[in-house]
Amino acid sequence: MGREFLEGNEAIARGAMKARCDFFAGYPITPASSILHYMLELVPAIGGTAIQAEDEIASIGFCIGAAMAGRKAMTATSGPGISLYSENIGLAQIGETPLVIVNVQRQGPATGSATKGAEGDIQFTRWVTSGGLPVIALSPATVGEAYELTYRAFNLAEQYRSPVFVLTSKEIGVTRESVDLDAIELPPLVERKRVGDDEEYLPHRFDRPADVPAMSDFGGAHIARYTTSTHDQAAYLTAKPAVIQEMIDHYTAKIDAVADDIALVKRDFQESAETLIISYGITSRSAAVAVREARARGARVSSLVLQTLWPVPQRAILAALDGIRRVIVPEMNMGQYRLEIERLAPTGVAVIGVNKMNTTLISPAEIQRTGGLL
Amino acid sequence: MTTATTDQAMLCDGILRPGNTNCAGCGMSLGHQWLEQGLEGAKLTLCIPACCGIVAAGAFPTSAYGVPTIACTFASAAAVASGVAAVRQLNHEDDLTVCWTGDGGTYDIGIATLSAAAERNEDLIYICYDNEIYGNTGGQRSSATPQWVKTSTTVEGKAEPKKDIMAIMAAHRIPYAATLSLAHRDDFLRKIRTAQKTRGFRFLLMLSPCPTGWKSEAADSVDLVDTAVRCGLFPLYEVFDGRRYRINARPDGTPLENYISRQRRYRSETLDLDAMKREVDAQWAYLNTVARTFPAREGE
Repeated sequence: MGREFLEGNEAIARGAMKARCDFFAGYPITPASSILHYMLELVPAIGGTAIQAEDEIASIGFCIGAAMAGRKAMTATSGPGISLYSENIGLAQIGETPLVIVNVQRQGPATGSATKGAEGDIQFTRWVTSGGLPVIALSPATVGEAYELTYRAFNLAEQYRSPVFVLTSKEIGVTRESVDLDAIELPPLVERKRVGDDEEYLPHRFDRPADVPAMSDFGGAHIARYTTSTHDQAAYLTAKPAVIQEMIDHYTAKIDAVADDIALVKRDFQESAETLIISYGITSRSAAVAVREARARGARVSSLVLQTLWPVPQRAILAALDGIRRVIVPEMNMGQYRLEIERLAPTGVAVIGVNKMNTTLISPAEIQRTGGLL
Repeated sequence: MTTATTDQAMLCDGILRPGNTNCAGCGMSLGHQWLEQGLEGAKLTLCIPACCGIVAAGAFPTSAYGVPTIACTFASAAAVASGVAAVRQLNHEDDLTVCWTGDGGTYDIGIATLSAAAERNEDLIYICYDNEIYGNTGGQRSSATPQWVKTSTTVEGKAEPKKDIMAIMAAHRIPYAATLSLAHRDDFLRKIRTAQKTRGFRFLLMLSPCPTGWKSEAADSVDLVDTAVRCGLFPLYEVFDGRRYRINARPDGTPLENYISRQRRYRSETLDLDAMKREVDAQWAYLNTVARTFPAREGE
């Protein structure tokens, strides 16, 4: 295809198609609406279904139904829509549903600024529904990464039977960049494990807590059960505390156990640097400029960009902190991910937030000024 | 140091002050003015969910609504208004509570709270300005979009017919439901007054041209509504207690082509004019039958 001039939302649609997404449902919402438009064009062309739902509760509901019936499903929205997704995200967790959820973040809370960017849904994504079970969330910084991480999100969803978030923002979603999607290296496609037609089937079978149960499509050879209530491995309702705990341990372990395996980070380390900038999303592009300029002035500074936000890429962060005395964490929110860095940083390491939530981007100069790099 | 000053002219009375951000030819602008004229100075609180009506408020001081206004979330206008109305009742105040909502917030995402408020017969006036499209998010179809119309999510023309929201609301047996035409001012104002003096849930449906979404000329908006009434596409009628009907204007033989030819949204390959005519005829056969069988009472 060569180089194209694409917006992030289109790259997400293309990444989904590359992952053979064949079901999409969404509801109009700025700045995510064009994903709905692209998917309405692309998905039917491969024999799949794309639907404009009547609201966000329906959007994710459609996707859960389709995913459990065997399709690779995605939905896309922004903050107000994620708020309405909340209960069904819990259903996707308790029912172990592979599903990709795109959040093109805008300034919140509530309607906020519909056409203005923000990255204020970081901890909201982590604690998005009742129960507090772990989630997987990826955060692209460029149009090319929006394509790549959406593709990878499908792989993670299928592999771990879990909802997976792609956390982008208005700035990435509706900004165009030149990009050659074919030049982006992608891992092999992952399809969900399915139980053979003649095999015995339990909807949530596992031996060890971190095992990921094989699936059987609704309407297939088995009597598939799916429930929003606490249940056992057979998806029969249960009130037995020991069984309920066993299931909770399973939902938790299957994500936590692989946290470091699914950690995607970009490292730009400088030898003997004592300052580290940890960033993600659109702000990481300002961080890259801040690092370049600071180095040009003779400062020694390293950079760690997180593409996996949840689960926390703990090992990668701890390794990056080695020898570091000051960590700068720029965020388009009031310091949400800084909480994770403060939790991990050894005693004596200063963690400095560069925070702004007024719909404008954080500039390299602001990072340098607040971070003490000037 | 500069001090922000308020231009008193901007703060004149009125539901929609001058200088608003509405598009030229938007039906909402005229609708707001006629609502105000119909209410003749009655005090009211507006509840507006996510829709162009929220954007219309603009940024102070260029424009804002001249009445207390709650801009609420998309799905909850009728619920928020129910809360306001409940307090009015507790306080023995006769201020009106008015929902002003688009078709997306009425036919789609807001229909659960709308239905529940109607079922409880909340004391509020619910006005849907129906531009038959999600005008605020890029022109997607709603379930109010007519069949065959092209939108950004029905690029070949919508397959499904428009949802009959008047029938749905009438089925709630609410005290009063009526359609409003921006080309029939006397009828419009009379219905506002009827709604004002009625207690309980009142539902008003206003066909609201959207030149941006309809791909029509802004100057044609009022005439397009007039044509929609004349060709039978938008019947003017009232329903009392969900059962008794009064038809306010009948089709006069104006061809449908006069309506659809002036809107590029209807220029779809799939448009079936004969089917459209049959649908209009069927709707009128039904309306005529119920209005004849269950007529409104004298004086209603």
